[in-house]
Amino acid sequence: MKALLEVRRVSKKYGNGSTALSDVSFSIQEGEFVSIIGPSGAGKSTLLRCINRMIEVSSGEVVFQNVNVTKLGKKQLKQVRRTIGMIFQHYNLVNRLSVIENVLHGRLGYKSTLAGMLGLYNEEEKKKAVEILAMLGLQDQIYKRADQLSGGQKQRVGIARALVQEPKLLLCDEPIASLDPNASKTIMDYLKTISTTLGITVLVNLHQVDVALKYSDRIIGVNKGRIIYDGVPREMTSDMIHNIYGSETGDLLFDLGGENAG
Amino acid sequence: MITRSETKIKVKSFNKATLVIRMTLLVLVLVTLLGFFTFDYKGIHVFDGIVLTGQTFLTMFLEPHFSHFTFVELISKLFITIGLAILTTMLGAAISLFLALVAARNLASKTTSNIRGIIAVIRAVPTVLWVLIFAVAAGLGSVAAVIGMSFHSIGYLVKAYSESFEEMDDGVIEALKASGATWWQIVFQAVLPSSMTYLLSWTFLRFEINFTVAVAMGAAAGAGGIGYDMFMASVFYYDLREVGIITYFMLLFAILLEVFATRLKRKLRLNA
Repeated sequence: MKALLEVRRVSKKYGNGSTALSDVSFSIQEGEFVSIIGPSGAGKSTLLRCINRMIEVSSGEVVFQNVNVTKLGKKQLKQVRRTIGMIFQHYNLVNRLSVIENVLHGRLGYKSTLAGMLGLYNEEEKKKAVEILAMLGLQDQIYKRADQLSGGQKQRVGIARALVQEPKLLLCDEPIASLDPNASKTIMDYLKTISTTLGITVLVNLHQVDVALKYSDRIIGVNKGRIIYDGVPREMTSDMIHNIYGSETGDLLFDLGGENAG
Repeated sequence: MITRSETKIKVKSFNKATLVIRMTLLVLVLVTLLGFFTFDYKGIHVFDGIVLTGQTFLTMFLEPHFSHFTFVELISKLFITIGLAILTTMLGAAISLFLALVAARNLASKTTSNIRGIIAVIRAVPTVLWVLIFAVAAGLGSVAAVIGMSFHSIGYLVKAYSESFEEMDDGVIEALKASGATWWQIVFQAVLPSSMTYLLSWTFLRFEINFTVAVAMGAAAGAGGIGYDMFMASVFYYDLREVGIITYFMLLFAILLEVFATRLKRKLRLNA
């Protein structure tokens, strides 16, 4: 196993002087399923977006597949971005387009500007999109408009759009924060399957501690822009969770259960 | 226990703004009254004037007839006016689309969004004035009308379009950017599909405005069309009855346009 992603001493300060991340370092191995947990405003989203440079870092570097992403020009950055899929809390689909059109958007980074503008995808790409949709159980929704889908279905379209990019890494920003428990489970199961069967590395921001404990190979706990926990779920203690969330015992709605109990 | 206060409870607080508004209204009322007492009526009595105006309207609309223009002529002139409206709307829409893309805050860089300022200036000057300004270079006529009307259409549509673009969900743009899509790809694959209904309905609204302006321009700038015929019928031939029939022609088209617009909007809403 080699490191797919290395984040080295990354800091992010916003113009108004507030610090979102300070001196964050970690590395992720290929095929790992890593969750980032922490309270709202801890910098989880910023951290995720610094990786594909949707947000520019203030200092430090992000190395993805041995390429220093922070130093890349516009064109190379686009090439890196197409190998990193991204999934969002609000799905971010184009509501007025069909499911398959939304999925094919994931191919835009591979196409010439003109072909992409006009939506000219080749048969291979379309076949790939249909295959992925079938894998995610959306074969009957292919020609539906995105706004006719339920939340869980929309998120699966979001996943399909990311997968059609043939990514090495999947960044998921609160993928289940707007979903009901059923749909949440479906989405997390799909993400886990993607990680184990397709070998795609998954980095996911989560609000639900129990979900993070259940699905991840590793958990990174963030508070006030700093990493304060980085380890396997098994070693996560109740005290540590309170540390991450800055809460007192009994203030949180979670149940460590099983081997983490006590 | 409730204590009763002797004074009435005020609902509105009295402040400087209300004082200014009240004073302004008072002054306006005084000026209006003063005006009525000091007008130079040139021997016309207000009551007689009203009756005569009514009679003119009755002749105009109850006894319309053709004398200097034939039915076919008027129809063809109507099409000239419609043509002027369509041409200026399309020219304006095509140019505005691109300008609006670089003017929309969520799509543009900081420097290009300065276009908004220039556009606001264009919009502030009325269409008729733009036509007259261009008439200096192009001479009074259809060329000046086309350029001037297109110019003001751009001012109007850039604002409408760019605000439609700004309405859209920033997350979608972020999602496509994160997958490595280029700016043009994002515009064509996400921005335009999302805002198409707004764009169409704004463009159609502008077409309606341009039609009325085209009528006026026919007369004021000699751009031809049914407006010019109306000008001739009223000022040159002083034929009230013919003015009446020309008005009916325009009214008919305006109603058709309105019916079509309502249907279009209903259809767009169904697809929205």
